[in-house]
Amino acid sequence: MDGAKPGHRYEMVNVRPGYVIVEHEVFSKQMRSYFSPEAVPPVEEYREGPKIWKFSGMAQSFQFDLCDRTTGQVTKFDDLLGLVPYSGCPADSDVHRLGDLAQAEKIWIYVAITHGPVEGTRQAAWLEKLRILNRYFGERVVTPNKKILILPDYFGLYKEFSHGQILADFGLTAMEG
Amino acid sequence: MTTKELAERLELKSLTRMFEKPVSGVYISDMVSDVIANAKAGNVLVTLQVHNNVIAAANLVDVSAIVLTRGRTLPAEAISLAERAEIPVFSTNMDSWQVATRLYEAGIR
Repeated sequence: MDGAKPGHRYEMVNVRPGYVIVEHEVFSKQMRSYFSPEAVPPVEEYREGPKIWKFSGMAQSFQFDLCDRTTGQVTKFDDLLGLVPYSGCPADSDVHRLGDLAQAEKIWIYVAITHGPVEGTRQAAWLEKLRILNRYFGERVVTPNKKILILPDYFGLYKEFSHGQILADFGLTAMEG
Repeated sequence: MTTKELAERLELKSLTRMFEKPVSGVYISDMVSDVIANAKAGNVLVTLQVHNNVIAAANLVDVSAIVLTRGRTLPAEAISLAERAEIPVFSTNMDSWQVATRLYEAGIR
């Protein structure tokens, strides 16, 4: 089903279609996101203690796991919001500068954005998952010398991401509020 | 078949410089997330989607070419990105079904 071939170590499994829901807190303007597998995406405003969360936007997306074909071990990626290509970031940002340098060597940088706090992306468990994600996409590439490099979000993109940067289908279904 | 031969056979209009690559299979989708999940390296991606992200997604999974249907074109920024990724992008007035038919007739499965 996915782009994996028989010789590849990893394959994408448990693909779950759904929606990335982005919401903001009415008073603090804090933003957060989560994945909803529901057929009809939730857009209702709701209370969480003193906070009121209001729907900001959504995109069709999917969640997946990666299975190691050699061991059968499945790694879950349900905390992955999406991938941001360096080219989608502002030209004067660090990630864009790094991406330009790397791209000259045929290395394409993408940043993995998580639903959870950015601090979690510095943990060993997340870095190990990124190694697996890099291996999976690296295996799919057939163009000679071309490399895909997926980095953790050490750039703080999560705090300021705009929907259009993320490789999800915001452009098709967004209902910005 | 190569991307160059494909463009000639289907009379596609080039939006980028030509990058001649082998073509193996076709994937038709207008959803970036679907392309990431299911397109294979070497595929021709047939789509209506013209957001910059379609180039980034196509690059991530290493498709050999993109065919935009119904006369769609790309913004200059996306064309530049496609050229840096060495992904040839074509446009045609055909719809996705017609392109799929022509690709099948050309022997691409």
